[in-house]
Amino acid sequence: MTKPLPQGISLGQFNAAIAEIEKVVGKQYVFLDDVTELRSYRDAYNTTNDADFAPSAAIAPKNVEQIQKILAIVNNYKIPIWTISTGKNFAYGGPAPRKAGYIVLDLKLMNRIIEVNEKHGYAIVEPGVSYYDLYNYLQSKGIKLWIDCAAPAWGGFVGNTSDHGAGYTPYGDHLLMQCGMQVVLADGTIVETGMDTTANSKSGALYKYGQGAAIDGLFTQSNFGVITRMGMWLMPEPPGYTPFMITLENERDLEIVTDLTLPLRLNQVIHNAPMTVDLLWESAMSVSKRQYYTGTGPMPDSNRKKMAKDLDLGIWNYYAAVYGPEPMMKNNMEIIRDTFSQIPGAKFHFDDTRKGDPGWDYRVKLMKGEPNMTEFSLLNWIGGGGHINFSPISAADGKDSMKQYEMIRKRAHEYDFDYIGEFLIGWRDQHHIFMLMFDRMNAEEKKRAHELFAVLVDDAAALGYGEYRTHLSFMDQIAGTYSWNDNALWDTHHALKDELDPNGILSPGKMGIWPKNLRGNS
Amino acid sequence: MLSRRTFIKTALASNAALLTTPSQALQLLFDNSQAQPLLVFADETALNAKDFISGVKNDGANLGLDIGRHFDLLATFCKDSPNGQIMGLTRDSDFFVLEQLAKDFGFYTSYSASHRYDGQTLTHQVTAAEEPATIITTSLTKAGEQWPAWLAKNLLALPQKHQQTITTKSQLNVANAEPHDFLVSWSLSTSKSI
Repeated sequence: MTKPLPQGISLGQFNAAIAEIEKVVGKQYVFLDDVTELRSYRDAYNTTNDADFAPSAAIAPKNVEQIQKILAIVNNYKIPIWTISTGKNFAYGGPAPRKAGYIVLDLKLMNRIIEVNEKHGYAIVEPGVSYYDLYNYLQSKGIKLWIDCAAPAWGGFVGNTSDHGAGYTPYGDHLLMQCGMQVVLADGTIVETGMDTTANSKSGALYKYGQGAAIDGLFTQSNFGVITRMGMWLMPEPPGYTPFMITLENERDLEIVTDLTLPLRLNQVIHNAPMTVDLLWESAMSVSKRQYYTGTGPMPDSNRKKMAKDLDLGIWNYYAAVYGPEPMMKNNMEIIRDTFSQIPGAKFHFDDTRKGDPGWDYRVKLMKGEPNMTEFSLLNWIGGGGHINFSPISAADGKDSMKQYEMIRKRAHEYDFDYIGEFLIGWRDQHHIFMLMFDRMNAEEKKRAHELFAVLVDDAAALGYGEYRTHLSFMDQIAGTYSWNDNALWDTHHALKDELDPNGILSPGKMGIWPKNLRGNS
Repeated sequence: MLSRRTFIKTALASNAALLTTPSQALQLLFDNSQAQPLLVFADETALNAKDFISGVKNDGANLGLDIGRHFDLLATFCKDSPNGQIMGLTRDSDFFVLEQLAKDFGFYTSYSASHRYDGQTLTHQVTAAEEPATIITTSLTKAGEQWPAWLAKNLLALPQKHQQTITTKSQLNVANAEPHDFLVSWSLSTSKSI
């Protein structure tokens, strides 16, 4: 096997750089073996060739000082590094770098929970802290704060927030709940944002802006620095919590339920981001496709209907929750019942009747910030389930929901894939997650999935929809859809990149941002 | 070089069997007389995994749907048993997650195989170093519908060394594929611990 190397770097230069890095972090924290160690830094769910995203090495520093020294070395050799925190954002590339040969900068050993403040409701953590870590810490100390985690929950705060991830409690907009960060720039300079930059500040995780430009967002979905610490607001444990589910019988109920939801969200009758989940996503928690359909291609409607009946599920399944004192929850639930009862066939479900159902149980946990991995189960819908997520944003508007659903489902069926998806309604927007699931052991199926994804990006752009996050393979294509005014946004990104990272060492190509030395090749 | 004879011999070598039943009644069964700690994951919701479990130990094992419930167990085993071996016959997603977590403790995949039913055909696809891959594929095929029992019996002989791998495949006709789902068998062992 040929060692993947960074573009333009000889094996001699690479080995020399690695020898210097070993002196900084210790040999045991430098991973070079392609057969074992580096296999786990690849993307098992890529839709192209495994070698396209194969790193040359991975290194795991323990602190900021080591990061500064590593940056000095890779700047000297002009070797690109690809920063990950816990590296669990599978469907979007996981721990793998944008291009073969990069060195992965794995921050998993920087896993200190620096502070938890129960009174003011925040935590300050390093990038290696996972959702499980902080949840277990809060539980062990009896601290009455909730985390908000992604699904599945093995990732961490810094990585997910940096990628604009979302969760399921009222604090589900992770970047909105981020407050203060520490960043190491490419030249080794340490920057604190917001209030933390004032002497003896005690409000770094309380007030987001400080004085001057608020720059935290610049370091998310980008490659302008290495985030080494982050403040996150945590929700105080509420006095009450009422999760509910509504099963809906018809495809077109998606439009109605979206439109009915928006005013409830805008007025905070529903506190968290409601999810409208399609039948297959929900069913895949407990059954596999071949239990209901052994043919090829997408599951026919007649089989879907039988499955819905057997599992007491809807064609759409709507999850949300209310939180607070009992009278408030009672009041809100009355409004919610009145609102959604307008939909013919809508059926409410609660813990007393639904408990024990895998789909219900894991959503109930997520909506109160209890980490779990159950959502991974749906990958067993087909054998060897790999997936990449196609995730367009739109207004929280029923017509947009239907337009996206119909467009994606039709395309998925053309390419012989099932539509498996959900809609999450945020403050005013909605995320649509289409889980494009394929057999990761089937090369032809992977190729077909890749082609479908590329078509969907163009179809969505033509309808005015852009994606909020994407897999490594499609970062450039999607960046190309954000092209208004002759690519003014990307010119701005690139101007910042060239100024802050002139040697182009930090995560080149992340979300389509390339340093000047690689722009011609991207 | 591993011969068939040494392969089988290895299978009979002394080892400790630690069968996890990671549901509510998590059971850790150690045989202190044995040298190498072993952690086995299996999913009793799958018919074939039940056969596998009964061949390993006469206890039921149930991974459940939330593999996250077993993270602590995995971490503890990896820390306490750096020379140990972790194996399973599970859903693909469970293997994927455990493999990712175990790498942080220096445990990497030395063997994996998918067992897929399609119509009346059972396909085994084995990824391991060349010689064991060939032997295991042949043996699984010969075992016919009793392949989970073969795996259980030969659990301790599954490859532990980390070498360049190949993938071999075999297919056979089976009488009744209907009740069976896709499963993967796998083995993780240490390369370097951090």
